[in-house]
Amino acid sequence: MNLFEYEGKRMMAKFAIPTPGSRLLATADAPAPLPYPFVLKAQVLTGGRGKAGGVKICHNDEEYTRYAHDILGMTIKGHVVHGLLAEEMVKADRELYLSITAQGVKNPTLIASAMGGMDIEQVAATQPEEILKLEIDPFTGLKDYQLSMLAQKLQVEDKADLFATVRKIEKAFFATNALLVEINPLGVVNGKLMAMDSKFVLDDHAEFRMKGIFQEIRDGREAIHYEAPKGDGTTITFVPLEGEIGLISDGAGTGMLTLDMVNDEGGTVASFCELGGTTNADVMYKAMEYTMGTGKPIKSLLIVLIGGFNRMDDMANGITRYIQDHGIDVPIFTRMCGTMEEEGIAIMKEHGLSTYNMLLDTVKDAVAASKEGR
Amino acid sequence: MAILIHKDSKVLVQGITGKSGSLQAKLMMEAGTQIVAGVTPGKGGQEVHGVPVYNFVAEAKAAHPEIDTVICFVPPRAAMDSAMEAIDAGIKLLVLTTEEMPTHDVMKVIAYAKAHNTTLVGPGCSGIIVPGVCKVGSHPVRFFAPGKVGVVSKSGALSYEIGKTLSDAGIGQSTVAGIGGGPLWGFAQKDAIALYEADPDTKVIVMLGEIGGSTEEEAAAYIKDHVTKPVVSLIVGRNAPKGKSLGHAGAIVSGNTGTAASKIAALTDAGVHVVKNPVELAETVKALLNQ
Repeated sequence: MNLFEYEGKRMMAKFAIPTPGSRLLATADAPAPLPYPFVLKAQVLTGGRGKAGGVKICHNDEEYTRYAHDILGMTIKGHVVHGLLAEEMVKADRELYLSITAQGVKNPTLIASAMGGMDIEQVAATQPEEILKLEIDPFTGLKDYQLSMLAQKLQVEDKADLFATVRKIEKAFFATNALLVEINPLGVVNGKLMAMDSKFVLDDHAEFRMKGIFQEIRDGREAIHYEAPKGDGTTITFVPLEGEIGLISDGAGTGMLTLDMVNDEGGTVASFCELGGTTNADVMYKAMEYTMGTGKPIKSLLIVLIGGFNRMDDMANGITRYIQDHGIDVPIFTRMCGTMEEEGIAIMKEHGLSTYNMLLDTVKDAVAASKEGR
Repeated sequence: MAILIHKDSKVLVQGITGKSGSLQAKLMMEAGTQIVAGVTPGKGGQEVHGVPVYNFVAEAKAAHPEIDTVICFVPPRAAMDSAMEAIDAGIKLLVLTTEEMPTHDVMKVIAYAKAHNTTLVGPGCSGIIVPGVCKVGSHPVRFFAPGKVGVVSKSGALSYEIGKTLSDAGIGQSTVAGIGGGPLWGFAQKDAIALYEADPDTKVIVMLGEIGGSTEEEAAAYIKDHVTKPVVSLIVGRNAPKGKSLGHAGAIVSGNTGTAASKIAALTDAGVHVVKNPVELAETVKALLNQ
C-alpha cells in the first residue's frame, strides 16, 4: 500500500521524526489553515506533482482560494487530487536524501546522498559516487560504524541528531514492515534534520500483523473521500495493453513467454491476464470477463494453460460456462495440457471447442486469425 | 546423480495435514520420493498416507535422524517461523513453496538460512524434480523425462512448458529446479548453474529467466568465469510494458534495470546460447547434446 505524503508524515511523527507543521484539507473552501505564507501540496499517489502545478506557495487569501480550487480535483498522471496538504514554509540550509528500502535489494538497504531534493535515480546514474548504500542485517539492524560512515558521507555537523534521527527512521521501517521509507529532501533546518517530504510504502502481505496501521489509514482516507481501487478477491493479474489478441495464461512465466511469441509472430496483445496462485473454474470465468470486457474489441482470444496445481477440467468449465452465459464473437485458441487434461479436453469438445497441445501452433493460429479482416 | 536431491533423499513435509501439503506429499511419494515424516503443530501422532506426523521438526528429526531435506507448504503468516524451525533442526536443504510471504519475513529467512549453512530454495517456488527418480516440489511428472539437461527456472509453469517441449522432442532432463518468481531468492540461477557444472550427469544447462532484478546478469558473470558446459537461455518478458508487474513480483522493469535487453546482452557476452522460444530452445539443446 502506497501512502499519501500526509499519511507518511503522520507515520513519521509517530516515530518522533520531525516534520514541518501541516494541516490536511479535504475542501477548497476551508478558512486559511496556517499563517501566510504556506505551501499547498496536492496529495496524490504519484510523482511529478510539482511540474503538473500541484504544489503552490500561498501568500494571501486570494492566492490560497485560487490555488486550492485549482489543485483540488485536478488530475495528475491519471490520479485525481482528493486532498491538499497545507504546510508551513521551512527554509532548509541543506537538502539531503535518505531512504531505507526492501524493494529490488537482497537485504534492507539504506541509501543516502548529500544531493537531496532532486531525482535520486538521476543522481545515481550521473554521479554514483554521491550515493552511499548500506546493507542492513535484518537481525542486528544498522551498526554504529555504519552510522559513522553515513555521517562522513553526509557531512552533517550534529552527529548525535543524525544518529538519533536515522535510528528512528530505521525503527519506523522495521516496526511497520515497510517496503520503502523515503525522505527526499531530508532537510537540515537550523542544524537539525527534518523530513520535508515522505514516501512510505507498506507491504500488503504483512497486513495480517499490521491490521491496526492499515485500518487507521483506510479510516483516515474517508476524510478526503478517497477510495482505493478494490481487488476482486482473486489472485488474477490483469494488464490492459494496446493490441488485438486477448491473452489468458495460468502462469506468469508462460504468460510473458506467450506475449513475446505473439510479438515475434507479428501479432499484438490486447491484454495480459494471469490467473495467479489460486485457480478454479470461477477464477477462469473472471479472467474471461476481464479479457472480453475491456470495451475495446479484440480479434482473437488466446488461452495458454499448463496445469500443475490447477486442473484442466476446472479451466474448461470456467471457459465454457462464460461462453454459455455471454456468448463469444471471436475465435478462441486454447492450449490445454497438464493435470486432468483428458477431462478438460473432453469438456471443451462437448461445447464444440478444439484445443492445442503445442504452444507455438496455438500462437501462430491466434495471430493469423487476428490479422484476418484487417 | 543430479543436483540438490537424489534417490536416497529423506524428506520431511511441513504442513502435511493441509490440503496442498497432503496432496503434494502423495504426488511426491508416487514420483518415488522417500517421505519419512510430516509436521503439523497440534496434529502429532496422526498419519498421512502412512507417513507419521509430528508436532515439531525437532521431534521428527529425533525419531528419524536420517532426514536431510524439508519441503514447506505452510501458509504465509506462519512460514517464517516454520522455515526457521527447520533450519534450527539442522536441515541442509529447505524447499519453501509458500507464496506471498511478507518481504521482511523473506529477508529474515534468507539471512537466517545463510548464517546456518542451509540451502534455501524459494520462497514461492515449484521446487525440484529429478525425472524418473524423485521430486521435492510440485512439478507434474508427466512433463518430464530422465536425461542429460539441467534446467533452472524462476517460474514453475515455464519450467513445465520447457520440460514438456524437451521431453516431446526426446530430450530428457537430469534435474529441473523451479526457484520462484521473486523478488527475493535464497537460491539463485547461478547457484543452480554452479551445481550443474559439477554434476557429471548434466551435459547441457538451460537457464529460464525473466525480466526484473539482476540475477540473470549475475548468472552471466558467473558463467563467463566458471562454466565450461554449454548454457542455453530463454528470457521471457521482452515485450512487457515498463513499470508493470505481469504476475511475478520480481518481474518488473524500472528505469533501465531488469530489462530483457540487458540480460540478453550479458548472457550473449558470456557465450550463452540465447533463444527466443521453446521450439528453438529444444533444437539448440539437441544440437549441443550431439556435439
